[in-house]
Amino acid sequence: MTDVSQSPSAAAAPAITIRGVTQRFGDAGSSQSVLALDNVSLEVARGEFVCLLGPSGCGKSTLLNIVGGLIRPSQGEVTVSGRRVDGAPRPDEIAFVFQESTLFPWYTVIENFRIALKFQRVPKAEWDDRAMAALRAVGMAGFSGHYPNQLSVGMRQRVNMARGICVKTGILLMDEPFAALDEQTRMVLGEDLSILLAETGKTIVFVTHSLAEAVFLSDRIVVMTARPGSIKTIIDVGEPHPRSPDFMLEPRFGELRNELYALLRDEIRKTMASQRDPAAARGGA
Amino acid sequence: MSAAADAPKSGFAMPRARAVKLTRWAIIAGAALFLEIYGRFFADPAFMQPVSAVLKALIHPILSDPRILQALGLTIFEIGAAYGLSIVFGSLIGVAIGSANLPRKSLYPVILLLYAIPQVSLMPLVVLIFGLGPAAKIFFGFSHGIFPIIVNTVSGMRNSNELFLRAAGSMGASRAQIIRHVLFPNMVPSFFVGLRLAMTLTLLGVILAELYVSTGGIGYFTRLYAESYNPAPLFALTGVLAAIALAFNGLVRIAERRLTPGLRAAPAVKTPKGNNPEGTAL
Repeated sequence: MTDVSQSPSAAAAPAITIRGVTQRFGDAGSSQSVLALDNVSLEVARGEFVCLLGPSGCGKSTLLNIVGGLIRPSQGEVTVSGRRVDGAPRPDEIAFVFQESTLFPWYTVIENFRIALKFQRVPKAEWDDRAMAALRAVGMAGFSGHYPNQLSVGMRQRVNMARGICVKTGILLMDEPFAALDEQTRMVLGEDLSILLAETGKTIVFVTHSLAEAVFLSDRIVVMTARPGSIKTIIDVGEPHPRSPDFMLEPRFGELRNELYALLRDEIRKTMASQRDPAAARGGA
Repeated sequence: MSAAADAPKSGFAMPRARAVKLTRWAIIAGAALFLEIYGRFFADPAFMQPVSAVLKALIHPILSDPRILQALGLTIFEIGAAYGLSIVFGSLIGVAIGSANLPRKSLYPVILLLYAIPQVSLMPLVVLIFGLGPAAKIFFGFSHGIFPIIVNTVSGMRNSNELFLRAAGSMGASRAQIIRHVLFPNMVPSFFVGLRLAMTLTLLGVILAELYVSTGGIGYFTRLYAESYNPAPLFALTGVLAAIALAFNGLVRIAERRLTPGLRAAPAVKTPKGNNPEGTAL
């Protein structure tokens, strides 16, 4: 495991560089072909929290999967810590937290941590210390012997998040991790996440639909256009982590939220129009 | 009657375990009593005999005649052998078919087609090939038992949640680790469904063959009792076969409970002091 942050030149370099990424599903020219991402370029600094926000189907998750090496882009390239990602996962650098809990139901909570650390080739002696530290951080230490299906959905996602944080990667990619939760639980987990991040200094790319979540958590919010997804604008939040819930009561929070909504509204209308009449939308594009 | 008194007052409450047990035994006792009275006073003894006569026949001749005991032992051996072969070959073939696209798409439909064949019609051929000894019976049990194991192994491997595979891949799991820690555990519940179905079918196959080849073994005795209009030992023998089936099923269940993770007895939900697991202050 190379600790890149030690070397001054690497510290200045961005954690993630996305250059001209275009993603097409299906063969170009065929009627089934879908252009999911169109020439997306973005840099994410080390320790930064970036949200990808956009109408559904705009390619946010696709972009995240490309950064994580789960999908190879049709064009363009992604570099993580200076090394090119080419459709192969980089478990030493990047951890994923998915929308649904990916805790294996046949393992207990602690076994799920052990197996993740084993997959990542972390020495066995460290497994339990790390797992328990991460579980304590999310208040789930008392449930290490439970099977996932004995936990509530919120508890499960809390453990799932802890598992993503406990591995030694500098980058965490989160694909709508709170989407399946009720609003109160989301807010609480969001607060937890903000605190954890301030402590660990990880770089995070976070996909969400929720405007409030985006404003509350992000350093920068990348607003994407309707399909084919490209970057419409980037908004700076400029509020230090960890953030307290009081931030949500500040006028700036509401202003940012409204600004985001105004930006997204047009895109959502465009998506709906193209869904109503796909042929016209393709012709127009 | 005491069962009814034990039942809770509210119609919607879950009945207590004791009430369930008592009701069950009351029904069994009632049925036995009815059969006893009917068999003793009304039925033609050539076709039906009372429960007491069946129990008597169970002790003598069924459980005291060494020839019958030997035949039962042979049947148990045949079921065990057929079942063992079904498990070994069924799981091997199932894993081979389920682990790659080519065999699954090419071979699996053929297997499903074979599964659908009513094998009883091939019985005479099996006897011609394997002779009158245990080999034909073991083969017939095996040819019945192998299919549900193949089918359930394949479907267990196919149903691997895409999400788990993606998660394991993103964590850097090797191909071997994915098979060991994701595909296999995911397959286990479905595999045991196959094992239980296979147990029933293996038993059916062996008994069918036993009845068809009635020169010796259990088949000889069932025919003997049926044709001599002596139903009491016939019922008793059937009861023994049912007990054998139950015993085999019990073994499968014990294995299932031991080997299915997540079904094992789980620790009680307890909250340690000074820890608030469900949520921080809202």
